[in-house]
Amino acid sequence: MSRALTWRAVLVWAALAALPALPFMSKFYLLLAFDALLFGAIAMSLDLLMGYTGLVSFGHAAFFGLGAYATAVLLERGIVSLWVCLLFAVLVVGLYALVVSYFSTARRGIYFALLTLIFAEVVYTFFRYTQTFGGSDGIQGLPAPSLAPGFAIDTPLRNYYLVLVYLGLAYLVCRILVTAHFGRVLVAIRENEDRARFLGYNVQRYKMAVCMISALITGLGGALYPGRSAFATPDLMLWTVSGELIIMVMIGGLGTLVGPVIGGAFFVLLQEKVSSYVDWYFIVIGLVLIFIVLFMPRGLLGIRGLLGGRRWRATA
Amino acid sequence: MLKLTDVHAGYGATPILFGVSLEVRAGEAVALLGRNGMGKTTLLKTAIGFLAPWRGAIEFEGVDLTRRAPHEIARLGVGFVPENRRIFPGLTVRENLELGLSAAADRSAAVRRRRLDEVFHHFPRLAERIEQPGKTLSGGEQQMLAIARVMMAGARLILMDEPTQGLAPGLIRHIRDMIAELKRLGVTVLLVEQNARVALAVCDRGYIMEKGSIVFAASSHELRESPVTREKLGV
Repeated sequence: MSRALTWRAVLVWAALAALPALPFMSKFYLLLAFDALLFGAIAMSLDLLMGYTGLVSFGHAAFFGLGAYATAVLLERGIVSLWVCLLFAVLVVGLYALVVSYFSTARRGIYFALLTLIFAEVVYTFFRYTQTFGGSDGIQGLPAPSLAPGFAIDTPLRNYYLVLVYLGLAYLVCRILVTAHFGRVLVAIRENEDRARFLGYNVQRYKMAVCMISALITGLGGALYPGRSAFATPDLMLWTVSGELIIMVMIGGLGTLVGPVIGGAFFVLLQEKVSSYVDWYFIVIGLVLIFIVLFMPRGLLGIRGLLGGRRWRATA
Repeated sequence: MLKLTDVHAGYGATPILFGVSLEVRAGEAVALLGRNGMGKTTLLKTAIGFLAPWRGAIEFEGVDLTRRAPHEIARLGVGFVPENRRIFPGLTVRENLELGLSAAADRSAAVRRRRLDEVFHHFPRLAERIEQPGKTLSGGEQQMLAIARVMMAGARLILMDEPTQGLAPGLIRHIRDMIAELKRLGVTVLLVEQNARVALAVCDRGYIMEKGSIVFAASSHELRESPVTREKLGV
């Protein structure tokens, strides 16, 4: 990583950390910023699959929702330690992801997408119709999780910093993975799976590994959600959420990590702004997305290229 | 080293290979000749595990390959250079080469450096292009990269599918010399070629395939002289 890039990274983090100090940052905007960063991080984890490995998952909402339910179930029973919640989420999401990734990666192309979708729909239906988990209402009115006894994450500000740390760690993990040999193999698989196989790579194992990592990052993001919203509902796992995550990656820029974070934040902010003016906000969002896909095929991050900046390498 | 016995294989319900038997002994370079669509590529794909044979046996150094996955076969020491120079276009020359190392038993940094040095000794052109994406290389350079990639893996048997296809005469000579060099280094080669002249110049012996069967087997010298070669290949 060049010195300039490191400095830019420090600047970006400093700006994000200082964001709550801005005068107009009300609680409402802090929660909006929480959502923007949370979905940015989740879109980034999906980029490991979509951008680097060439696998399109239509079932990431299930990882997100399961993480949220894992936390919600514990909070509901009075277990408020954030660490226990996160650990439980890792277990639940990890087990589910193991099954999904095993079966999904056994098939290629559209079948991978379909299998992830079908698994996610099963999970959605299960939570939607199981009264133990509140059925369609989900689990509501949850207490705030605490970082340590007596230190609850109970304000938008604390939630914001929590998600900022989560984004930072998730970014580090993803960046290290894609710059390591592991990342090269993922790109090789994306470019030509058969070639990777006859070079001696157990392609399915690599695909499973990257699926699991992506699912766990997404699940951990989900586990942070009830702390901000005080609920977990089946709607979090609706297939449209998976679709939105894919859109976030696309508009941000495939295979760049940073792009999807921007894409996720952009999507959340756009949705919030437009929906506060009109009910048919999805039409407006759709038009904006069509514009981006048609005129900025490299995504929002591609603007840098248009402005003469350094072009982001899709594989690095 | 590699022994196929009565191999039948095909795609879906369509049979392509009708009981092919052939053998490549250690240290040999063997040519597999034949016109387009005679089953040469299918034979290679079956040998490296992309296609499960319907019947018959495939052995590499006594190990049964018929039920093994391609990555396992690669790790046994079987390298494959596919036709049309199939490298990873978005990855740099260095990354392409380092990916090749995965099939090697020893992947330490010392081995990687040594193998890179060897490869650059044979293909100085690749050393000059080390940080360039694969897609910016010329056809000949991509072919060199595809060969260098299996050399990185330390493959003991290399299966090559039409390495000279579509290359200029100068480059064909270079590839031919490279195959001879591989042989000198002790690597065993099974070379699938339509260009019989090039193949027979470097190979010890050859097989001629027609409609999914081996129809003629002889030494390169005999193949060059035989009227059968002319009849079957039109050269």
